[in-house]
Amino acid sequence: MSQDARVETFVTAFEALRAEVEKVIVGHREIITHVLTSMFAGGHVLLEGVPGLGKTLLIKTLAEGLELSFSRVQFTPDLMPADIIGTNIIVEDGDGRKHFQFQQGPIFAHILLSDEINRATPKTQSALLEGMQEGAVTVGGVSRPLPAPFFVLATQNPIEMEGTYPLPEAQLDRFLFKLRVRYPAIDELNAIIDRTTRSQQVTVSRVMSGPTVLSFRELIREVPIASHVRDFASTIVMATHPSWASSPEVTRRFVRYGASPRGAQALVLGGKVRALAEGRYNVSVEDIKALATPALRHRVILNFEGEAEGVDADTLVGQVVEAAEAITASGKEVFLR
Amino acid sequence: MAHPQAIEVLVRRVARQVGVRRAEHWGLRGAFWGALLAAAVLAFKAVLGLAALVLAPALVLLGALAGAAYGLARRVAPRDAARLADRAFGLADRVATALEWADHPDRTPLVDALVADTVARVLALEPRQIVRRVIPLEGRWLPAPLLAGLVLALAPAIHLPTGTILDFTPSAEQEQHEDRASTEMTAERSRPLPRDPLKRPSFEERDFAQRTGTGSGSTAGDLSAIFKDTALSNQRPDFNSFLKKGDERLRLLEQVDRLPDLQSDFTTTQYKMVFRKSKSLMSGLSPDISPQKLRELLDEMERLGRKGGNWSSDASEGMDALEGGQTDRALEAMQRALDKMRAMEEAGRSGKSLRGGRENERGARGRERARGGEGVGPEDQDFGEGEGLLPGKGRSTMPKGDPTARVRGNPYDVGVEGESRRGRKDGYDTNLTGRAGSMPSRLMYLGVVGQYRKMMEDAITREQVPRDYHDQIRNYFQALDER
Repeated sequence: MSQDARVETFVTAFEALRAEVEKVIVGHREIITHVLTSMFAGGHVLLEGVPGLGKTLLIKTLAEGLELSFSRVQFTPDLMPADIIGTNIIVEDGDGRKHFQFQQGPIFAHILLSDEINRATPKTQSALLEGMQEGAVTVGGVSRPLPAPFFVLATQNPIEMEGTYPLPEAQLDRFLFKLRVRYPAIDELNAIIDRTTRSQQVTVSRVMSGPTVLSFRELIREVPIASHVRDFASTIVMATHPSWASSPEVTRRFVRYGASPRGAQALVLGGKVRALAEGRYNVSVEDIKALATPALRHRVILNFEGEAEGVDADTLVGQVVEAAEAITASGKEVFLR
Repeated sequence: MAHPQAIEVLVRRVARQVGVRRAEHWGLRGAFWGALLAAAVLAFKAVLGLAALVLAPALVLLGALAGAAYGLARRVAPRDAARLADRAFGLADRVATALEWADHPDRTPLVDALVADTVARVLALEPRQIVRRVIPLEGRWLPAPLLAGLVLALAPAIHLPTGTILDFTPSAEQEQHEDRASTEMTAERSRPLPRDPLKRPSFEERDFAQRTGTGSGSTAGDLSAIFKDTALSNQRPDFNSFLKKGDERLRLLEQVDRLPDLQSDFTTTQYKMVFRKSKSLMSGLSPDISPQKLRELLDEMERLGRKGGNWSSDASEGMDALEGGQTDRALEAMQRALDKMRAMEEAGRSGKSLRGGRENERGARGRERARGGEGVGPEDQDFGEGEGLLPGKGRSTMPKGDPTARVRGNPYDVGVEGESRRGRKDGYDTNLTGRAGSMPSRLMYLGVVGQYRKMMEDAITREQVPRDYHDQIRNYFQALDER
């Protein structure tokens, strides 16, 4: 298959999957695109939004559109790591001998929906760490690989914070994107009412298999990126660090810790998916700019002043991107002078 | 793989456009400076003659050409040209990426597709000027020197002044005049001192006989007579009167031990100097104290201590601590040495400082009390400055103060009630209830208010209070005073 055909196949599959999800989910096109981008980039997504905006429905619909196994875990304060990973239980064989057998937990699925992830204790939240990063879990000293592709979609509610355990930075950093689900517009709300109050139910077709997703992931990593685009992504990440010499004033004033190298990886990998989804063979500066907010908003830790001033991470990242643009443009773009 | 020749052609074309724009940019700058030079040359047209008219335009042309040549000679990086092309034609970094990855060793199969796609898009482009013109500041101001040059070229030549150097050697007449002037200046200097404002009027009355009219030496039109013909010119101190009256100052001279030590300038004592230096050392913007400056200060303190002070050991200890990198210990040692310096200076002054009369009286009373002398009544048992009447200012170590002698027992077992009298008064009589009901008390109202007023003025002087509040605070105290 020629390269053009491979890219064309990806674009078609991407559009088809998005169309299937959009059969159920009204609006939120950008959220859906980012979720698909994250899935093809091999990352995980944290969806944040108030109840009733369709976060869980979006993920369930996506799972229905893929020929992949799906598990859902409702995170609660009494949930234990073994409830997610699984545990060894004693079983008796035909000869009457007893032995330990590993009983897989819900994490052993292609798509794992961690609903209201911030309601579980940090101990339970940490049970996901190894699986999200390594694609494997260790139980009783034995490492057990998770099925590929493995994709965690977590949701959290930003307003009911009582009795919750905010995700630690190490856990947040493992999510490729953090997406904020906004309230729908009035026409979208009307469409939601129409779709959900009728007798006929919408059926979602399975348009993509697991191996297809894996092959697309390989294709995505072949997308070339120019050095100045890569420099731009690095500059954005560095500009979130208050200790960096060229970081903007807003970072120095409000940020305690900047984004990790995973942030730069998220920008570039996401940029590659975005480019390919648009039928382009290379990553552009615009791709990086478009993904900066979802990729970095959860990786920038505000300091006390930032928290006290109520600084919005999205606004801060936007200003960081502008600063990075000015930094990378100096000496390169103004060569006429 | 599609040949990226089309991409290279596009990049070269853009680079050429950049070169042309740079030539324009630098040419304008060169022309401006050339025009300035040309205007200067034309200003000397009278000297240079016809050559100026030829040289001036040549300079403008030369500046423009030199600038353009410099602009053209500057290299345009292909990557920059490619990025410019990407932005100008909306190619989303395709050209820059294809150019970079076309010969990359880690080229992936997608790169071939990228190059082919980019070539196809580049071939579809219509060539156009994509590099915008950037006019430098000199370019905007270029008409000014050009116009000035034109005016200078058309205007008649400016003849430069050909004067000789002035002869500054004094002539005989001038020397004579200076002699006379210097005599007058000498006379002016020997004029008696101006009137002493402290001198009593009676002195002047007694001195009338000694005054003689002056002005006999002045002639009409002699302005110096204004200065000569004054009453002050002949006024002399009346020593006879001074001796007869037995001036207070004479009595003061008899009490040598109470004379203020006016010869010593306490503002420039060793302690003050060292204290000022130490303060400047520790009051910098940076929290780090310079060890070098601290060492210099300690060295100076040790030197001063060797001349007759007892703080040398502290200064030495501080220097040792500083050598060991213990800045805190060095600072503590310096503080101890400073305290000793101050104590020695206080001892050296031995009451000869410039103190007020009331303070002296109080000091005398205090000394008398210390000797256990009689005749010190309750009215004289006044507290010192900043003592007694203010909370925490007395000699007691208790933060709430000691009970007064008249109210024995629990100091809080009293209540104050009463009605203030109308009009201004020094104190308020209060009636006490409870165990001390039969013992009236007198609160020194004006004394308390006065002390707080003094503290307020100090605070305002030291700029501890925002300027906007000054009037408000003063008005408040004024209102208290008027009660």
